[in-house]
Amino acid sequence: MSEVKNMKNKTVTVTIDGKKITANYGKTILEVARENGIYIPTMCYLTKVEPIASCRMCVVEVEGVDGMILSCQEKAVDGAVIRTNSKELETERQNIMKLYDVNHPLECGVCDKSGECDLQNKTLEFGVPEQSFSAKDMFRPVQNWGFISYDPSLCILCERCVRVCNEIVGSEQLQISPGGYKSTIVNTKPENDCVSCGECMAVCPVGALVSTDFKYTANAWELNKIPSACALCSSGCQMYYDVKHGSISDPQEKIYRVTNEAEFSSLCGAGRFGFDYANTTAFKDKAKFEQAVEALKKADSIAFSSVITNEEALLLKNIAQETGAKLVCADAAGFAKFLKAYSSTSGRNFWSANLKTVAQSDSIIVFGLRVKDEAPMVKNHIAMAVKRNKAKVVYMHPMEDYAISNLVSKFIKYEAGSEEGVAAMLLEFLTRGKEMPDSLKEFVEELDIGNISGESSVSEEEIESLKLEFWKKKRFTLIVGEDLYNHPQAENIAKMLGVIERYSDFDLLIVPPRSNSLGVALVCDDLEANAEGYTVGYNAPGDFVLSALGGGDLDMPAINQQEGTIATVDKRVVPLNAALGYDGYVLNDLANALGVGKKYTIDLTKELPENRGFKAVEFDSLECVKFSPLGEDLRGYELKTVKKRASSKLEDVEDLPSFDGVVVYNCNSASNPNPFTQKAKLTAKEPKLIGSKQFAQAAKLSDGEKVEFEAEGQRCVRVFSIDTKMKGTIALNPTFDMGLSAFAVSSYKFYKVNISKVGSADE
Amino acid sequence: MSLDNFKDRNAGVQNYRLLELEPTPTTGWGKFKQVLIRSVKLELLVGLKVTIREMFKALFGGQMHTTKYPFEKLPISPRYRAIHEMKRLLESGHYRCIGCGLCEKICIANCIRIDTRYDENQRKEVSDYTINLGRCIFCGYCAEVCPELAIVHSGRYETASEQRASFTDFADMLTPLDELKKQKEFPGFGAVSPNADENIKKTPLAY
Repeated sequence: MSEVKNMKNKTVTVTIDGKKITANYGKTILEVARENGIYIPTMCYLTKVEPIASCRMCVVEVEGVDGMILSCQEKAVDGAVIRTNSKELETERQNIMKLYDVNHPLECGVCDKSGECDLQNKTLEFGVPEQSFSAKDMFRPVQNWGFISYDPSLCILCERCVRVCNEIVGSEQLQISPGGYKSTIVNTKPENDCVSCGECMAVCPVGALVSTDFKYTANAWELNKIPSACALCSSGCQMYYDVKHGSISDPQEKIYRVTNEAEFSSLCGAGRFGFDYANTTAFKDKAKFEQAVEALKKADSIAFSSVITNEEALLLKNIAQETGAKLVCADAAGFAKFLKAYSSTSGRNFWSANLKTVAQSDSIIVFGLRVKDEAPMVKNHIAMAVKRNKAKVVYMHPMEDYAISNLVSKFIKYEAGSEEGVAAMLLEFLTRGKEMPDSLKEFVEELDIGNISGESSVSEEEIESLKLEFWKKKRFTLIVGEDLYNHPQAENIAKMLGVIERYSDFDLLIVPPRSNSLGVALVCDDLEANAEGYTVGYNAPGDFVLSALGGGDLDMPAINQQEGTIATVDKRVVPLNAALGYDGYVLNDLANALGVGKKYTIDLTKELPENRGFKAVEFDSLECVKFSPLGEDLRGYELKTVKKRASSKLEDVEDLPSFDGVVVYNCNSASNPNPFTQKAKLTAKEPKLIGSKQFAQAAKLSDGEKVEFEAEGQRCVRVFSIDTKMKGTIALNPTFDMGLSAFAVSSYKFYKVNISKVGSADE
Repeated sequence: MSLDNFKDRNAGVQNYRLLELEPTPTTGWGKFKQVLIRSVKLELLVGLKVTIREMFKALFGGQMHTTKYPFEKLPISPRYRAIHEMKRLLESGHYRCIGCGLCEKICIANCIRIDTRYDENQRKEVSDYTINLGRCIFCGYCAEVCPELAIVHSGRYETASEQRASFTDFADMLTPLDELKKQKEFPGFGAVSPNADENIKKTPLAY
């Protein structure tokens, strides 16, 4: 063991195919080879997960070692002389291919994977001339798992799907049912537990796992891959829109599916299946355009959602400067204030953690974020930390989430509304024994922990037990989310979190609430949460509505119909590309009519404010797909982190508000996060108020009843559904069906409602 | 002849030879004599002799060579590439096309398009198929690439119509079901070689 420790940060020199290579200790032979552009064929290897070692295709010869070595899992040691090619290796690999080809149905003609199939490519690469092995064929019927269909006879059992489902997604849904030739992949849990992310399908090297919707509609070579980033949440994952003409009678381009560089990056269900939300009916309506220009001229407020690009935000800012209107962004205003308050005490403009460091940490606290639903990618990285580093995850939320119980090692429940108190308790616990300015020490000493504990119902023992959880751990991350940004005491919570980050061992990850809330918060200063007077809404409700969702006064392009950039949770600016054409007017046309526009919207990319961390680079110089050979995300550019003086001024913890009675929590599922995905064919869902049995009792409701209540100033009519696995007295209320109003929600996510029954679901 | 000979533009040194022709008459008498000789020798009938002989052979000798198109048609080469047609499976009558899209891909005139879908029997169904004959150059690549010998060229070369599109309606391109028994294998481009049976290697199946 000590030897291994000594080797840390040391380098090794190996010779691969006669080439002398110096690499860091700890890398596998395959990684070293790939970094240096040496090709070793693989079938089951997937850069983003730990080596699977099921295919034995990556075998190499090492001088002085008998037999063949699996390069994917063997670490490169100093002085090793490695050969990646020899006659024996070639025969070995060819034999592996022959075995893979046994009874593989010769249906490449219809198979969706044909043309991008690893088995096809490798069979040709190793020139399998004839089939010398055989086995009795058997009946293996096709299974449909929700969006995905599984054809066991095409499956080569490389285990990639099982591995990503367990290690990346953390669902533990897929398993291998072992049995030699009879082995198959099995879906162990009932269908509705699957998060429907399609990760298994994306990594499948053959056509065994394919999208049921896409199946047999197009061939790989017909689809035009348009590189972009997913703009449905703040993770901004890399993706391609695969487009092709609609049909023989419909020459219009259509998105057939979404793919990604599955070797390195992942997508969630919304990104992969909720792609067809483009505004396709738009046209140039001159009269409406004139009206829109007039409306903008007289507007007192310009309201917008933060599901827009940085360039659009800058255009809106320029328009507002020209007309003197107030900028209103309900879903980013709270976040912007939170971020400002955070940086006042932490001394830095951005949080220190990113998704990669989350995956590398071994102790994680999630606070104020229903992580599985609101930040699926963050959940994936937590799962990676759990599976790879045996990380302890403490989940602090008013509602337990049974779907991630396999990842969470400790759930701490606090009362809705008591986040400020919980933050104070965390501050007290995490900064214990740390060097801090006296004023902060005083603040901590003056905290009435007993009182806070009583009001938030988080016992002191629970907090103390974290000590045991984090015993002997080294890399700590605190993840905070949307619940906090619109809390009445959000700014004080942010300041406390800033102090935690500055003085404790914890890195902080602040998850932006919408796709580009960070970008909007950086581009526009002084965002307001509530509109006043005559309001022009840009993807938000108002007196004159410019809508990418369709149905507004003037159509605007959806986010997959325009070029631009968004700022992600990784503090990275990534470019988006237009997947589909757009025939209507864009915001830049309106800006031009007001005299503040550019020739193209993307001319603004280089004008994004440098003092807030952006770089003055042309849009066309940003890359949509860029990964290092080992999978490091290098797309776009990273926002510049600036360190500054930190204040240590915290406000006293106020009396915590209490929520009695019937409380609901605004929350959409991961596969349908906003009205855009509700417009998409696959991800659209019936909005249901979901509660536990306990909630049903408290609210005197029964399963399947139609209820009516007021939420965010809107009347919601929903079917109530009981989730038997859920606990607690808070129900989940989706907002994806509210249209643009869903983007105008700026209040705290938990709220009291008066529910009235209006009948049963059938009526 | 080498290249140098071609490059030599000096026509004077080439081996030209004058034909030994009778001199063209220049005097009036000379011209009159020539006309007289040509008329009296009946050179016209010498030429017509062949025609008349063949005419009699055709009319009375039963050796008529004229094809009475469109009532009669000449046989064409099996490799002739005329309007496309779609073959069916002989046993089931189902169309052979599997919708692989190779014809669409290989078509250099970019005139083929296929729509496919996932049908109720979990199979790939060709929901529509079209060839734009206005662009088709009848190169035969589609028939050659077809792995199922489904799309082939027929011998139907009469393409005068009000609508060319009517030749390429998927349903019309298919062999009519009642004529399935008469369906013949296409011997032209892309067809299996006559000795295909000898070339087939069986997979070693142990059962």
